[in-house]
Amino acid sequence: MRVILNTGRTIRQGSYVERKTSADYMEEAASLNMNRMDMFELAVEDGNHIRVRSDHGEVVMKARAVEGLIRGQVFVCLGPYANHLVGPETHGTGMPDFKTTQVTLEPTTDPVPTIRELMERCGGVGYED
Amino acid sequence: MKIEDVVCTFCGCLCDDLVVEVENNRVCSVENGCTLANEKFMRDHRLKNPIRRDGNGWKAVSYDEAIRETAEILLDADRPLLYGWSGTHGEAQSVGVHLAELIGGVIDNTSTVCHGPSIMAIQEVGHPGCTLGQVKNRADVIVYWGANPIDAHPRHMSRYTTYADGFFIENAFRDRKVIVADVRQTESSAIADEFLKIDRGGDYAALSALRAIVRGKGDLIPSRVAGVTREQLFRVAEICMKAKFGAIFFGLGLTMSPGKYKNIRNAIELTQELNRHTKFTISPMRGHWNVYGSNEVFTWITGYPYAIDFARGIAFYNPGETTSVDILMRGECDACLVVASDPGAHFPRACAEHLARIPTVQIDPHVNATTHLATLQIPVAVTGIDAEGTAYRMDGVPIRARKLFTGSYPNDQEILEKIFARVKEAKRS
Repeated sequence: MRVILNTGRTIRQGSYVERKTSADYMEEAASLNMNRMDMFELAVEDGNHIRVRSDHGEVVMKARAVEGLIRGQVFVCLGPYANHLVGPETHGTGMPDFKTTQVTLEPTTDPVPTIRELMERCGGVGYED
Repeated sequence: MKIEDVVCTFCGCLCDDLVVEVENNRVCSVENGCTLANEKFMRDHRLKNPIRRDGNGWKAVSYDEAIRETAEILLDADRPLLYGWSGTHGEAQSVGVHLAELIGGVIDNTSTVCHGPSIMAIQEVGHPGCTLGQVKNRADVIVYWGANPIDAHPRHMSRYTTYADGFFIENAFRDRKVIVADVRQTESSAIADEFLKIDRGGDYAALSALRAIVRGKGDLIPSRVAGVTREQLFRVAEICMKAKFGAIFFGLGLTMSPGKYKNIRNAIELTQELNRHTKFTISPMRGHWNVYGSNEVFTWITGYPYAIDFARGIAFYNPGETTSVDILMRGECDACLVVASDPGAHFPRACAEHLARIPTVQIDPHVNATTHLATLQIPVAVTGIDAEGTAYRMDGVPIRARKLFTGSYPNDQEILEKIFARVKEAKRS
Protein backbone atom coordinates (compact mmCIF):
# COMPACT_ATOMS: atom_id res chain seq x y z
CA MET A 1 0.00 0.00 0.00
CA ARG A 2 1.37 3.44 -0.93
CA VAL A 3 0.67 6.29 1.50
CA ILE A 4 2.03 9.70 2.48
CA LEU A 5 3.99 9.97 5.72
CA ASN A 6 3.34 13.04 7.83
CA THR A 7 5.39 13.74 10.97
CA GLY A 8 4.95 16.10 13.90
CA ARG A 9 4.98 16.55 17.63
CA THR A 10 2.76 14.63 20.03
CA ILE A 11 2.40 15.20 23.74
CA ARG A 12 3.68 11.71 24.51
CA GLN A 13 6.74 12.26 22.32
CA GLY A 14 7.39 15.54 24.13
CA SER A 15 6.90 13.92 27.53
CA TYR A 16 9.56 11.29 26.95
CA VAL A 17 11.89 13.27 24.68
CA GLU A 18 14.56 13.65 27.37
CA ARG A 19 14.42 9.92 28.14
CA LYS A 20 15.02 8.47 24.70
CA THR A 21 16.30 5.19 26.11
CA SER A 22 12.92 4.53 27.77
CA ALA A 23 10.36 2.01 26.58
CA ASP A 24 7.74 4.81 26.68
CA TYR A 25 9.65 6.88 24.13
CA MET A 26 10.21 3.91 21.85
CA GLU A 27 6.55 2.97 22.04
CA GLU A 28 5.49 6.45 20.91
CA ALA A 29 8.23 7.10 18.34
CA ALA A 30 7.75 3.70 16.65
CA SER A 31 3.94 3.98 16.38
CA LEU A 32 2.58 4.24 12.87
CA ASN A 33 -0.72 6.11 13.25
CA MET A 34 -3.19 5.00 10.59
CA ASN A 35 -6.71 5.37 9.31
CA ARG A 36 -8.80 2.32 10.33
CA MET A 37 -9.88 1.57 6.76
CA ASP A 38 -6.27 1.50 5.57
CA MET A 39 -5.52 -0.96 8.39
CA PHE A 40 -8.50 -3.06 7.37
CA GLU A 41 -7.33 -3.14 3.77
CA LEU A 42 -3.83 -4.10 4.88
CA ALA A 43 -5.33 -6.74 7.22
CA VAL A 44 -3.49 -5.44 10.30
CA GLU A 45 -4.69 -4.64 13.81
CA ASP A 46 -3.45 -2.36 16.56
CA GLY A 47 0.05 -3.41 17.57
CA ASN A 48 0.80 -5.45 14.43
CA HIS A 49 4.16 -4.78 12.86
CA ILE A 50 4.50 -3.03 9.51
CA ARG A 51 7.55 -2.58 7.34
CA VAL A 52 7.59 1.02 6.10
CA ARG A 53 9.74 1.76 3.06
CA SER A 54 10.64 5.00 1.33
CA ASP A 55 13.23 5.88 -1.30
CA HIS A 56 15.56 6.74 1.57
CA GLY A 57 15.26 3.81 3.95
CA GLU A 58 13.04 1.29 5.67
CA VAL A 59 12.04 0.56 9.24
CA VAL A 60 9.59 -1.71 11.06
CA MET A 61 6.95 0.10 13.15
CA LYS A 62 3.81 -0.76 15.09
CA ALA A 63 0.36 0.01 13.65
CA ARG A 64 -1.95 2.19 15.73
CA ALA A 65 -5.49 3.15 14.67
CA VAL A 66 -6.33 6.81 15.23
CA GLU A 67 -9.21 9.14 14.43
CA GLY A 68 -8.65 12.22 12.31
CA LEU A 69 -6.38 10.85 9.59
CA ILE A 70 -7.80 10.52 6.11
CA ARG A 71 -7.12 7.40 4.07
CA GLY A 72 -3.76 7.35 2.35
CA GLN A 73 -2.02 9.31 5.09
CA VAL A 74 -0.03 7.97 8.04
CA PHE A 75 1.40 9.96 10.92
CA VAL A 76 4.52 9.25 12.97
CA CYS A 77 5.78 11.55 15.69
CA LEU A 78 9.06 13.24 14.91
CA GLY A 79 12.00 11.09 15.93
CA PRO A 80 14.48 8.47 14.73
CA TYR A 81 11.88 6.08 13.24
CA ALA A 82 10.24 8.71 11.04
CA ASN A 83 13.62 10.10 10.09
CA HIS A 84 14.79 6.72 8.87
CA LEU A 85 12.37 7.35 6.00
CA VAL A 86 12.65 11.10 5.36
CA GLY A 87 15.02 12.22 2.60
CA PRO A 88 17.68 14.88 3.20
CA GLU A 89 16.84 17.08 0.16
CA THR A 90 15.92 20.61 1.28
CA HIS A 91 15.22 22.30 -2.09
CA GLY A 92 17.53 25.15 -1.14
CA THR A 93 15.67 25.97 2.09
CA GLY A 94 17.59 23.96 4.69
CA MET A 95 14.34 22.17 5.57
CA PRO A 96 13.73 18.54 4.48
CA ASP A 97 10.25 17.33 3.46
CA PHE A 98 9.24 16.12 6.93
CA LYS A 99 5.52 16.26 6.09
CA THR A 100 5.30 14.62 2.69
CA THR A 101 7.34 11.44 2.28
CA GLN A 102 5.90 8.76 0.00
CA VAL A 103 6.13 5.38 1.71
CA THR A 104 4.90 1.84 1.14
CA LEU A 105 3.44 -0.36 3.89
CA GLU A 106 3.73 -4.11 4.18
CA PRO A 107 2.74 -6.29 7.16
CA THR A 108 5.64 -8.16 8.72
CA THR A 109 6.49 -10.26 11.76
CA ASP A 110 9.98 -8.78 12.02
CA PRO A 111 10.70 -7.02 15.32
CA VAL A 112 10.65 -3.25 15.80
CA PRO A 113 14.28 -2.14 16.22
CA THR A 114 15.35 -0.18 19.28
CA ILE A 115 16.72 3.34 18.85
CA ARG A 116 20.13 2.01 19.69
CA GLU A 117 19.82 -0.53 16.85
CA LEU A 118 18.65 2.18 14.45
CA MET A 119 21.69 4.30 15.28
CA GLU A 120 23.98 1.27 14.95
CA ARG A 121 22.58 0.77 11.45
CA CYS A 122 23.68 4.36 10.77
CA GLY A 123 27.22 3.41 11.76
CA GLY A 124 27.07 4.33 15.44
CA VAL A 125 28.15 2.36 18.49
CA GLY A 126 25.38 1.64 20.97
CA TYR A 127 25.72 3.03 24.46
CA GLU A 128 24.02 1.18 27.32
CA ASP A 129 22.65 3.72 29.82
CA MET B 1 11.77 23.78 50.01
CA LYS B 2 9.05 25.28 47.79
CA ILE B 3 10.19 27.67 45.06
CA GLU B 4 7.63 29.94 43.38
CA ASP B 5 7.59 31.58 39.93
CA VAL B 6 9.81 28.90 38.47
CA VAL B 7 10.41 29.10 34.70
CA CYS B 8 9.72 25.92 32.73
CA THR B 9 12.51 25.33 30.22
CA PHE B 10 10.70 22.97 27.90
CA CYS B 11 8.76 24.72 25.14
CA GLY B 12 8.70 28.24 23.73
CA CYS B 13 5.93 29.31 26.12
CA LEU B 14 8.51 29.56 28.93
CA CYS B 15 5.72 29.48 31.54
CA ASP B 16 7.03 31.37 34.58
CA ASP B 17 4.42 30.51 37.19
CA LEU B 18 5.44 27.01 38.29
CA VAL B 19 5.74 26.12 41.97
CA VAL B 20 8.44 23.50 42.44
CA GLU B 21 9.37 21.63 45.60
CA VAL B 22 12.99 20.54 45.95
CA GLU B 23 14.39 18.07 48.47
CA ASN B 24 18.01 16.82 48.53
CA ASN B 25 18.88 18.23 45.10
CA ARG B 26 15.89 16.58 43.47
CA VAL B 27 12.55 18.00 42.34
CA CYS B 28 9.79 16.19 44.23
CA SER B 29 6.66 18.10 43.11
CA VAL B 30 5.54 20.53 40.41
CA GLU B 31 2.42 22.70 40.53
CA ASN B 32 0.87 24.59 37.57
CA GLY B 33 2.98 22.68 35.05
CA CYS B 34 1.65 20.81 32.01
CA THR B 35 2.45 17.15 31.29
CA LEU B 36 5.67 18.18 29.55
CA ALA B 37 6.83 20.26 32.54
CA ASN B 38 6.00 17.51 35.02
CA GLU B 39 8.01 14.98 33.02
CA LYS B 40 10.93 17.37 32.61
CA PHE B 41 11.24 18.29 36.28
CA MET B 42 10.16 15.06 37.94
CA ARG B 43 11.80 12.42 35.75
CA ASP B 44 15.12 14.04 35.10
CA HIS B 45 17.58 11.27 34.17
CA ARG B 46 21.15 12.25 33.27
CA LEU B 47 24.29 10.76 31.84
CA LYS B 48 26.54 10.45 34.91
CA ASN B 49 29.94 11.39 33.52
CA PRO B 50 31.68 12.15 30.22
CA ILE B 51 32.01 9.10 27.96
CA ARG B 52 34.23 8.36 24.98
CA ARG B 53 33.80 5.77 22.27
CA ASP B 54 36.42 3.07 22.66
CA GLY B 55 36.42 0.66 19.72
CA ASN B 56 33.04 -1.03 19.85
CA GLY B 57 32.35 0.10 23.41
CA TRP B 58 32.46 3.15 25.63
CA LYS B 59 34.59 4.25 28.54
CA ALA B 60 34.25 6.96 31.16
CA VAL B 61 36.64 9.91 30.91
CA SER B 62 37.23 12.97 33.07
CA TYR B 63 35.86 16.40 32.21
CA ASP B 64 39.40 17.71 31.64
CA GLU B 65 40.16 14.87 29.25
CA ALA B 66 36.87 15.38 27.38
CA ILE B 67 37.45 19.13 27.05
CA ARG B 68 41.02 18.62 25.81
CA GLU B 69 39.90 16.06 23.25
CA THR B 70 37.04 18.26 22.03
CA ALA B 71 39.45 21.16 21.50
CA GLU B 72 41.79 18.87 19.55
CA ILE B 73 38.96 17.58 17.35
CA LEU B 74 37.88 21.13 16.52
CA LEU B 75 41.46 22.26 15.86
CA ASP B 76 42.06 19.30 13.53
CA ALA B 77 38.91 19.90 11.50
CA ASP B 78 38.89 21.77 8.19
CA ARG B 79 35.10 22.22 8.11
CA PRO B 80 33.64 21.91 11.63
CA LEU B 81 29.88 22.22 12.22
CA LEU B 82 28.57 23.49 15.57
CA TYR B 83 24.92 22.52 15.77
CA GLY B 84 22.06 22.69 18.27
CA TRP B 85 21.95 25.49 20.87
CA SER B 86 18.16 25.69 21.42
CA GLY B 87 18.24 23.79 24.70
CA THR B 88 20.77 25.98 26.43
CA HIS B 89 20.89 29.53 27.75
CA GLY B 90 21.93 32.63 25.84
CA GLU B 91 25.26 33.04 27.62
CA ALA B 92 26.38 29.58 26.40
CA GLN B 93 25.07 30.30 22.89
CA SER B 94 27.20 33.43 22.83
CA VAL B 95 30.37 31.44 23.62
CA GLY B 96 29.40 29.03 20.85
CA VAL B 97 29.27 31.79 18.23
CA HIS B 98 32.70 33.11 19.27
CA LEU B 99 34.06 29.55 19.12
CA ALA B 100 32.69 29.10 15.60
CA GLU B 101 34.35 32.35 14.51
CA LEU B 102 37.65 31.33 16.10
CA ILE B 103 37.81 28.01 14.23
CA GLY B 104 36.24 29.26 10.98
CA GLY B 105 33.35 26.81 11.29
CA VAL B 106 29.64 26.78 10.60
CA ILE B 107 27.24 27.42 13.48
CA ASP B 108 23.60 26.50 13.10
CA ASN B 109 20.70 26.09 15.51
CA THR B 110 17.59 23.92 15.49
CA SER B 111 15.51 26.54 13.68
CA THR B 112 17.15 25.03 10.61
CA VAL B 113 14.58 22.19 10.96
CA CYS B 114 11.71 24.13 12.60
CA HIS B 115 11.11 27.84 11.93
CA GLY B 116 14.08 28.54 9.65
CA PRO B 117 11.66 29.01 6.73
CA SER B 118 9.65 31.45 8.89
CA ILE B 119 12.76 33.55 9.36
CA MET B 120 13.43 33.47 5.61
CA ALA B 121 9.90 34.75 5.00
CA ILE B 122 10.25 37.43 7.67
CA GLN B 123 13.47 38.58 5.97
CA GLU B 124 11.44 39.01 2.76
CA VAL B 125 8.30 40.74 4.05
CA GLY B 126 8.73 41.59 7.75
CA HIS B 127 7.04 40.39 10.90
CA PRO B 128 3.87 42.09 12.14
CA GLY B 129 4.05 40.39 15.54
CA CYS B 130 3.32 41.28 19.13
CA THR B 131 3.89 39.93 22.62
CA LEU B 132 1.73 37.19 24.08
CA GLY B 133 0.50 39.71 26.66
CA GLN B 134 -1.13 41.75 23.89
CA VAL B 135 -2.83 38.62 22.57
CA LYS B 136 -4.08 37.62 26.00
CA ASN B 137 -5.52 41.04 26.80
CA ARG B 138 -6.86 42.09 23.39
CA ALA B 139 -7.30 39.33 20.81
CA ASP B 140 -10.89 38.26 20.12
CA VAL B 141 -9.94 36.05 17.14
CA ILE B 142 -7.19 33.46 17.30
CA VAL B 143 -5.97 31.45 14.30
CA TYR B 144 -3.76 28.39 14.70
CA TRP B 145 -2.44 27.39 11.26
CA GLY B 146 -0.45 24.14 10.91
CA ALA B 147 -0.06 24.06 14.68
CA ASN B 148 -1.36 21.76 17.40
CA PRO B 149 -0.82 23.67 20.65
CA ILE B 150 -2.58 21.13 22.85
CA ASP B 151 0.19 18.64 22.10
CA ALA B 152 3.17 20.90 21.45
CA HIS B 153 2.54 23.93 23.71
CA PRO B 154 -0.03 22.59 26.19
CA ARG B 155 -0.53 25.81 28.17
CA HIS B 156 -0.58 28.25 25.23
CA MET B 157 -4.37 28.21 25.11
CA SER B 158 -4.86 28.51 28.87
CA ARG B 159 -2.27 31.23 29.44
CA TYR B 160 -2.69 33.39 26.34
CA THR B 161 -5.60 32.52 24.07
CA THR B 162 -8.70 30.30 24.18
CA TYR B 163 -9.11 29.96 27.94
CA ALA B 164 -7.21 33.03 29.20
CA ASP B 165 -9.34 35.94 30.37
CA GLY B 166 -7.67 39.29 29.61
CA PHE B 167 -8.02 43.01 30.30
CA PHE B 168 -10.40 43.56 27.37
CA ILE B 169 -11.59 39.95 27.17
CA GLU B 170 -13.62 39.20 30.27
CA ASN B 171 -14.82 35.74 29.29
CA ALA B 172 -12.26 34.32 26.93
CA PHE B 173 -13.96 31.03 26.19
CA ARG B 174 -17.17 32.80 25.14
CA ASP B 175 -15.69 35.96 23.60
CA ARG B 176 -12.78 34.62 21.58
CA LYS B 177 -13.30 32.88 18.25
CA VAL B 178 -10.77 30.15 17.50
CA ILE B 179 -9.94 29.05 13.96
CA VAL B 180 -7.70 26.05 13.29
CA ALA B 181 -6.26 25.16 9.87
CA ASP B 182 -4.56 21.78 9.50
CA VAL B 183 -4.27 18.77 7.20
CA ARG B 184 -5.48 16.43 9.96
CA GLN B 185 -7.88 16.54 12.87
CA THR B 186 -6.13 17.13 16.16
CA GLU B 187 -7.08 17.82 19.78
CA SER B 188 -6.70 21.50 18.93
CA SER B 189 -8.96 21.38 15.86
CA ALA B 190 -11.62 19.65 17.98
CA ILE B 191 -12.18 22.79 20.07
CA ALA B 192 -12.11 25.27 17.17
CA ASP B 193 -15.14 27.35 16.14
CA GLU B 194 -13.98 26.86 12.54
CA PHE B 195 -11.74 24.03 11.39
CA LEU B 196 -10.27 24.49 7.92
CA LYS B 197 -9.31 20.98 6.89
CA ILE B 198 -6.78 21.55 4.17
CA ASP B 199 -5.60 19.09 1.54
CA ARG B 200 -1.99 18.05 1.93
CA GLY B 201 0.22 20.72 0.39
CA GLY B 202 -2.72 23.09 -0.04
CA ASP B 203 -1.83 25.72 2.57
CA TYR B 204 -0.47 28.22 0.06
CA ALA B 205 -3.63 28.02 -2.05
CA ALA B 206 -5.93 28.36 0.98
CA LEU B 207 -3.99 31.38 2.25
CA SER B 208 -4.12 32.93 -1.23
CA ALA B 209 -7.89 32.41 -1.36
CA LEU B 210 -8.33 34.17 1.99
CA ARG B 211 -6.10 37.02 0.80
CA ALA B 212 -8.23 37.40 -2.32
CA ILE B 213 -11.47 37.53 -0.29
CA VAL B 214 -10.02 40.04 2.19
CA ARG B 215 -8.80 42.15 -0.77
CA GLY B 216 -12.34 42.20 -2.25
CA LYS B 217 -11.63 39.73 -5.05
CA GLY B 218 -13.89 36.99 -3.67
CA ASP B 219 -15.61 36.48 -7.03
CA LEU B 220 -12.44 34.75 -8.23
CA ILE B 221 -12.73 31.97 -5.67
CA PRO B 222 -13.88 28.58 -7.03
CA SER B 223 -16.30 26.33 -5.13
CA ARG B 224 -13.49 24.56 -3.31
CA VAL B 225 -9.85 25.52 -2.61
CA ALA B 226 -7.42 22.91 -1.24
CA GLY B 227 -10.34 20.91 0.13
CA VAL B 228 -12.01 23.92 1.82
CA THR B 229 -15.40 25.10 0.59
CA ARG B 230 -15.89 28.62 -0.77
CA GLU B 231 -18.57 29.21 1.89
CA GLN B 232 -16.23 28.35 4.73
CA LEU B 233 -13.44 30.50 3.31
CA PHE B 234 -15.84 33.49 3.15
CA ARG B 235 -17.06 32.75 6.69
CA VAL B 236 -13.51 32.63 8.07
CA ALA B 237 -12.46 35.77 6.18
CA GLU B 238 -15.48 37.59 7.64
CA ILE B 239 -14.68 36.47 11.20
CA CYS B 240 -11.13 37.78 10.72
CA MET B 241 -12.18 41.10 9.17
CA LYS B 242 -14.74 41.72 11.92
CA ALA B 243 -12.24 41.01 14.69
CA LYS B 244 -11.23 43.86 16.97
CA PHE B 245 -7.81 42.28 17.29
CA GLY B 246 -6.77 39.04 15.61
CA ALA B 247 -3.69 36.89 16.19
CA ILE B 248 -2.40 34.18 13.86
CA PHE B 249 -0.07 31.54 15.29
CA PHE B 250 1.54 29.14 12.86
CA GLY B 251 3.52 25.94 13.31
CA LEU B 252 5.59 23.42 11.42
CA GLY B 253 2.56 22.43 9.37
CA LEU B 254 3.45 25.50 7.29
CA THR B 255 7.25 25.53 7.50
CA MET B 256 7.77 21.86 6.62
CA SER B 257 5.06 21.49 3.97
CA PRO B 258 5.50 22.04 0.24
CA GLY B 259 6.07 25.73 -0.34
CA LYS B 260 8.05 26.02 2.92
CA TYR B 261 8.98 29.71 3.43
CA LYS B 262 6.60 30.85 0.69
CA ASN B 263 3.72 29.51 2.82
CA ILE B 264 4.85 31.77 5.67
CA ARG B 265 5.29 34.72 3.33
CA ASN B 266 1.72 34.21 2.15
CA ALA B 267 0.46 34.03 5.76
CA ILE B 268 2.30 37.25 6.63
CA GLU B 269 0.84 38.93 3.55
CA LEU B 270 -2.65 37.76 4.59
CA THR B 271 -1.96 39.45 7.93
CA GLN B 272 -0.99 42.63 6.06
CA GLU B 273 -4.23 42.48 4.06
CA LEU B 274 -6.26 42.02 7.25
CA ASN B 275 -4.61 45.13 8.70
CA ARG B 276 -6.46 47.16 6.03
CA HIS B 277 -9.62 46.25 7.97
CA THR B 278 -8.58 45.75 11.60
CA LYS B 279 -5.58 44.97 13.78
CA PHE B 280 -4.02 41.56 13.08
CA THR B 281 -0.70 40.02 14.10
CA ILE B 282 1.16 36.81 13.24
CA SER B 283 3.71 34.83 15.24
CA PRO B 284 5.49 31.48 14.97
CA MET B 285 4.89 28.83 17.64
CA ARG B 286 8.52 28.35 18.59
CA GLY B 287 9.24 24.83 19.84
CA HIS B 288 12.36 24.58 22.00
CA TRP B 289 12.38 26.79 25.08
CA ASN B 290 15.29 28.90 23.84
CA VAL B 291 15.30 28.45 20.09
CA TYR B 292 14.20 32.07 19.76
CA GLY B 293 17.14 32.96 22.00
CA SER B 294 19.55 31.21 19.65
CA ASN B 295 18.23 33.35 16.78
CA GLU B 296 18.56 36.51 18.90
CA VAL B 297 22.06 35.74 20.17
CA PHE B 298 23.36 34.65 16.75
CA THR B 299 21.86 37.77 15.17
CA TRP B 300 23.24 40.29 17.63
CA ILE B 301 26.73 38.83 17.23
CA THR B 302 26.85 37.97 13.51
CA GLY B 303 23.91 39.70 11.86
CA TYR B 304 22.31 36.37 10.93
CA PRO B 305 19.88 34.17 12.87
CA TYR B 306 21.12 30.66 11.96
CA ALA B 307 23.26 28.75 9.42
CA ILE B 308 26.28 31.06 9.72
CA ASP B 309 29.48 30.07 7.96
CA PHE B 310 32.75 31.65 9.17
CA ALA B 311 34.97 29.80 6.66
CA ARG B 312 35.65 33.04 4.78
CA GLY B 313 36.69 34.84 7.98
CA ILE B 314 33.44 36.81 7.92
CA ALA B 315 29.87 35.76 8.70
CA PHE B 316 28.15 34.28 5.63
CA TYR B 317 24.55 33.05 5.59
CA ASN B 318 22.83 31.11 2.83
CA PRO B 319 20.05 28.65 3.82
CA GLY B 320 20.19 25.62 1.55
CA GLU B 321 23.98 25.84 1.47
CA THR B 322 25.11 26.66 5.02
CA THR B 323 22.28 24.82 6.79
CA SER B 324 23.16 21.70 8.79
CA VAL B 325 21.07 19.16 6.87
CA ASP B 326 22.62 20.26 3.57
CA ILE B 327 26.16 20.25 4.97
CA LEU B 328 25.69 16.77 6.44
CA MET B 329 23.91 15.45 3.33
CA ARG B 330 26.86 16.55 1.19
CA GLY B 331 29.27 14.92 3.65
CA GLU B 332 31.00 18.26 3.87
CA CYS B 333 31.82 18.70 7.55
CA ASP B 334 34.69 16.71 9.04
CA ALA B 335 33.80 17.25 12.72
CA CYS B 336 30.63 18.19 14.56
CA LEU B 337 29.99 19.70 17.98
CA VAL B 338 26.38 19.10 19.02
CA VAL B 339 25.14 21.23 21.91
CA ALA B 340 21.75 20.79 23.57
CA SER B 341 19.88 19.01 20.78
CA ASP B 342 19.54 15.60 19.15
CA PRO B 343 20.22 15.54 15.40
CA GLY B 344 20.51 11.73 15.53
CA ALA B 345 16.78 11.60 16.23
CA HIS B 346 15.61 14.66 14.34
CA PHE B 347 17.65 14.79 11.13
CA PRO B 348 17.10 12.49 8.15
CA ARG B 349 18.98 9.20 8.27
CA ALA B 350 21.59 10.27 5.70
CA CYS B 351 22.67 13.05 8.09
CA ALA B 352 22.87 10.64 11.04
CA GLU B 353 25.11 8.38 8.96
CA HIS B 354 27.55 11.22 8.33
CA LEU B 355 27.59 12.14 12.03
CA ALA B 356 28.65 8.56 12.77
CA ARG B 357 31.47 8.78 10.18
CA ILE B 358 33.14 11.90 11.59
CA PRO B 359 34.31 12.86 15.10
CA THR B 360 31.08 14.06 16.77
CA VAL B 361 31.13 15.54 20.25
CA GLN B 362 27.87 16.01 22.09
CA ILE B 363 27.40 18.35 25.05
CA ASP B 364 24.05 17.32 26.55
CA PRO B 365 22.69 16.21 29.93
CA HIS B 366 20.86 13.16 28.57
CA VAL B 367 21.53 9.97 26.67
CA ASN B 368 19.76 10.38 23.34
CA ALA B 369 19.96 9.05 19.77
CA THR B 370 23.02 11.20 19.01
CA THR B 371 24.88 9.56 21.91
CA HIS B 372 25.15 6.35 19.88
CA LEU B 373 26.57 8.28 16.90
CA ALA B 374 29.02 10.38 18.89
CA THR B 375 32.65 9.78 19.71
CA LEU B 376 32.43 11.77 22.93
CA GLN B 377 29.63 13.06 25.17
CA ILE B 378 29.95 15.60 27.97
CA PRO B 379 26.99 15.78 30.39
CA VAL B 380 26.06 19.19 31.77
CA ALA B 381 23.60 20.84 34.14
CA VAL B 382 20.06 21.53 32.93
CA THR B 383 19.20 25.23 32.63
CA GLY B 384 16.18 25.93 34.81
CA ILE B 385 16.99 23.04 37.17
CA ASP B 386 20.64 23.19 38.24
CA ALA B 387 21.86 25.98 35.96
CA GLU B 388 20.63 29.51 35.38
CA GLY B 389 20.64 31.70 32.31
CA THR B 390 18.70 33.87 29.87
CA ALA B 391 16.07 32.48 27.52
CA TYR B 392 13.77 34.15 24.98
CA ARG B 393 10.08 33.27 24.95
CA MET B 394 8.41 32.57 21.59
CA ASP B 395 7.37 36.25 21.35
CA GLY B 396 10.92 37.52 21.90
CA VAL B 397 10.57 38.42 25.58
CA PRO B 398 13.76 37.56 27.50
CA ILE B 399 13.18 35.65 30.73
CA ARG B 400 15.77 34.64 33.28
CA ALA B 401 15.64 30.92 34.11
CA ARG B 402 16.72 30.28 37.68
CA LYS B 403 18.72 27.53 39.28
CA LEU B 404 16.63 25.45 41.73
CA PHE B 405 19.62 23.88 43.44
CA THR B 406 23.38 23.60 43.04
CA GLY B 407 24.23 20.21 41.61
CA SER B 408 27.47 18.50 40.67
CA TYR B 409 27.38 19.12 36.91
CA PRO B 410 29.13 22.05 35.20
CA ASN B 411 26.90 24.11 32.90
CA ASP B 412 27.18 24.47 29.11
CA GLN B 413 28.79 27.88 29.37
CA GLU B 414 31.59 26.66 31.66
CA ILE B 415 32.39 23.71 29.38
CA LEU B 416 32.31 25.83 26.23
CA GLU B 417 34.49 28.56 27.78
CA LYS B 418 37.12 25.95 28.65
CA ILE B 419 37.05 24.53 25.12
CA PHE B 420 37.27 28.08 23.71
CA ALA B 421 40.24 28.91 25.94
CA ARG B 422 42.12 25.76 24.86
CA VAL B 423 41.45 26.38 21.17
CA LYS B 424 42.51 30.02 21.48
CA GLU B 425 45.69 29.07 23.30
CA ALA B 426 46.56 26.47 20.66
CA LYS B 427 45.92 28.96 17.84
CA ARG B 428 48.13 31.55 19.55
CA SER B 429 51.03 29.15 19.95
